[in-house]
Amino acid sequence: MDVRGAPPDAEVVARVLGGDAEAFGIVIRRYEAGLQRFATRMLGSRDAAADAVAEGFVRAYRHLASCREPTRIRTWLYRIVTNRCKSHLARRSVADVPLDDAPPVADPSDSAAALERAEQLALVNRALTALSPDKREAFVLKHVEGLSYEEMAAVTGERIPTLKMRVHRAREALLKALEAYA
Amino acid sequence: MNTIDPRIHQALDGDLPLEGVPAELRPVVRRIAAAADLLAAVGPAVSLESRVMAEIRRPAPSRSRRLTRWLASPHAITFRIRPAWSLALATAAAVLMLFVARGGGPELSEHEGLAQFVGRFPDAQSVHVVGSFNDWRPRSLPLEDQNHDGVWRTTVVLPAGIYEYMFVVDGERWVTDHLAERLVADEFGRENSVVIVRPVRR
Repeated sequence: MDVRGAPPDAEVVARVLGGDAEAFGIVIRRYEAGLQRFATRMLGSRDAAADAVAEGFVRAYRHLASCREPTRIRTWLYRIVTNRCKSHLARRSVADVPLDDAPPVADPSDSAAALERAEQLALVNRALTALSPDKREAFVLKHVEGLSYEEMAAVTGERIPTLKMRVHRAREALLKALEAYA
Repeated sequence: MNTIDPRIHQALDGDLPLEGVPAELRPVVRRIAAAADLLAAVGPAVSLESRVMAEIRRPAPSRSRRLTRWLASPHAITFRIRPAWSLALATAAAVLMLFVARGGGPELSEHEGLAQFVGRFPDAQSVHVVGSFNDWRPRSLPLEDQNHDGVWRTTVVLPAGIYEYMFVVDGERWVTDHLAERLVADEFGRENSVVIVRPVRR
């Protein structure tokens, strides 16, 4: 990311590797929102997502020297957080369904449109949770995080045709869930 | 499963402009895009910066500490073995279990058995069992109230046979165990309880 007036990623990485640990805060501020959104959709829980992303950042800092392309640190961070999410999913037992998975409770003061939106979100969330982690990951990276297939391949280590197939299957499953609701 | 027209995927992948999709398919494109927009709209999250930076500023744990932490934390370990090996391992585990189970309790000879004595004395300070197996010596076999619920119990190894017994509560009160297998009258006009000890090994 190259924000006007802000140091580019490669410069920030060089500063951290040069001993300025505090500069890593710039990396955190720059990417935490997207990573937390991605992890929340992967894990279905904001708390679990915060844990996964925090672990991912600490891991990234400790292994920053192994980041071969500092200009593409965003992709590298997604890769680390993806692995943290998979690790969390593997540890989670079947019975351990996060509370966040519960549909949002309707607030009487909400407008009809807001309620419908909340219902739709709950429906889409359920459909997303029902997907396999691989398809969920592919869909969220593509449509929620807006990564290109090339970036997704760098994040996941998978081939582009494989990723396209996963995204297509995920779309079909989501559409099926939405049509069942309509 | 392929329920979506390929042109919808092309449009969503950015390979085909929405105008290139037949009008009747465009609502599907919009619908999936709207679902993705809903998922993208996660409310503001609490910043992790202070939490992560605090962790970063801490001195890195030593190698031995990291190893200890790794050993103490749960990890998914997957074994992939051939069915023949799994059978052999299961047999070995069963043999080991038998060995462990046999070594877990008291070693009994073929003429011995276990006698369990249980009595409910909520207010008692001590309970002993006396009988023909210990020559009616009052304090030789104490019972224990391990759960502090007033239920006193003990298990002893005795030669197989039939024994009369009574409980002695607080060292002075002789009480018949009315839950015994049998009760018999003694020569003093009282009732003794009877336990039948059967040999464990036949």
